[in-house]
Amino acid sequence: MSETNSSTETGTQRVRKTRKPKKSQIPFAILLTALIIAFGFYLGQGSNKLPVYWIFGIAFGYILQRSRFCFTAAFRDPCITGSTSVTRAVLVAVAVSSVGFVAIKYASAIGGGDSNLNMAGVSPIGLPLIIGAVLFGIGMVIAGGCASGTLMRVGEGFLMQMLSLVFFIAGSVWGAHDMGFWGKLNANAPKVFLPDVFGWFGAIVVQGLIIVLLYIAALKWQQKKMGSIE
Amino acid sequence: MAEFTLDCLGEACPVPLMKTEKKINELSVGDVLVVSIDHSCAMKNVPEWARKQGHNVEIEEVDDGEWEIVIEKAK
Amino acid sequence: MKEFFIKLGDHPIYKKLLKEPLTYVAGAVLLSVFQIAHFTVFGKGWGVTSTFAVWGTWVYNALGGDAGSWAYYASEKMQQELHTSFLADGGSIRNLGIIFGALAATLFASQFKIKKIKTLRQVVAAILGGLFMGYGARLANGCNIGALFTAIASFSLSGWVFGAFLLLGAYIGSKLLAKYFM
Repeated sequence: MSETNSSTETGTQRVRKTRKPKKSQIPFAILLTALIIAFGFYLGQGSNKLPVYWIFGIAFGYILQRSRFCFTAAFRDPCITGSTSVTRAVLVAVAVSSVGFVAIKYASAIGGGDSNLNMAGVSPIGLPLIIGAVLFGIGMVIAGGCASGTLMRVGEGFLMQMLSLVFFIAGSVWGAHDMGFWGKLNANAPKVFLPDVFGWFGAIVVQGLIIVLLYIAALKWQQKKMGSIE
Repeated sequence: MAEFTLDCLGEACPVPLMKTEKKINELSVGDVLVVSIDHSCAMKNVPEWARKQGHNVEIEEVDDGEWEIVIEKAK
Repeated sequence: MKEFFIKLGDHPIYKKLLKEPLTYVAGAVLLSVFQIAHFTVFGKGWGVTSTFAVWGTWVYNALGGDAGSWAYYASEKMQQELHTSFLADGGSIRNLGIIFGALAATLFASQFKIKKIKTLRQVVAAILGGLFMGYGARLANGCNIGALFTAIASFSLSGWVFGAFLLLGAYIGSKLLAKYFM
């Protein structure tokens, strides 16, 4: 993002704080990259899978930081400022991923065999899901980042997020401990895989429609709250 | 045409944005607000918000990972 | 040598590639590409928080607790999780990767800085927020990644339900933030 309009107007009025002598962090970046690669090879000695997990982690963290992509902001900003630019980006993300996922699932379903992936990633819809989602929503706004966001910000050097990560982990254990109770409420909770309800073609139409309608709603919301749809 | 400063160092989203919004509302047209931040996300969303509101915005990197966002209230 | 890196960091092409933020949509598309690749390779989508529960449980057990009897760890697969180690666990490695990937991106942009906690308010926010997220993620069987991003992409209705109530939570959170944490 570069300097923008009317820089002379605001610029000439104020006395600028002189920038401290420059230090480049690029040498550390190169060193870290070497260590990341070396660690990948180290992981590869014992397992084929672990270096792949490592690559995915590095890529997710790198992309999240470079784009400032933030699932928290997608749900929070509409409530605070009315901006939906991140919300719409999340809709783009789920739209693109849906195309890939449905292709893989469909291929596995028509391919037969015992590795049917239809129910992969499909969770029960019950009271625990609803309560969990509300709690998670409150927590992520207060702490300033969700799970991936917290990890990303730990990498950026945020001490506050390191503290929040510790309690995130503690809360997870607490939640796991109580799942004996909550699990009972999930006993009759349905696991709904959309193609089971609407058929493959119907599910794609329904999912696409939901995403498009939400996208339009997000634009309208921003228009209403901020007067612009940028 | 006064100049005001707002220190948001160490603050995570959305606190810098909320503080900026509150402060801007107290200023009169033509005043300048300098927001100090060290949060890479706020470095993107504070200027974005201010531009959408129609203010003049400038970002200055004052140190590694530290920015000053200069907002001139335009309306 | 130092001069060289400072010059490199100021080069317009370097800035464009490694310093200036990508757009949110570019981030969305890139994350999706890796998300799809992840599903292709492992037969399951990306998740973050179930690993947090395992990390915490390792600590709990190391301190003398016995989580092995909890209903949460009843299945054989979950028992296995309890007895693996950090460096042999894919989820742990992936989460560690997120931290180091973000660190690398920050360093290449020359924007790394330790951001200190300044107020008690931040401490309280971090503790409460962390606990709420941890507990909530276990109930919902995932976070914004597992229960939302991956679930919706998997055509699970649960993802949309999670999103709707997450928005409600975010709304409540925003009100609390404005009232108590500003």
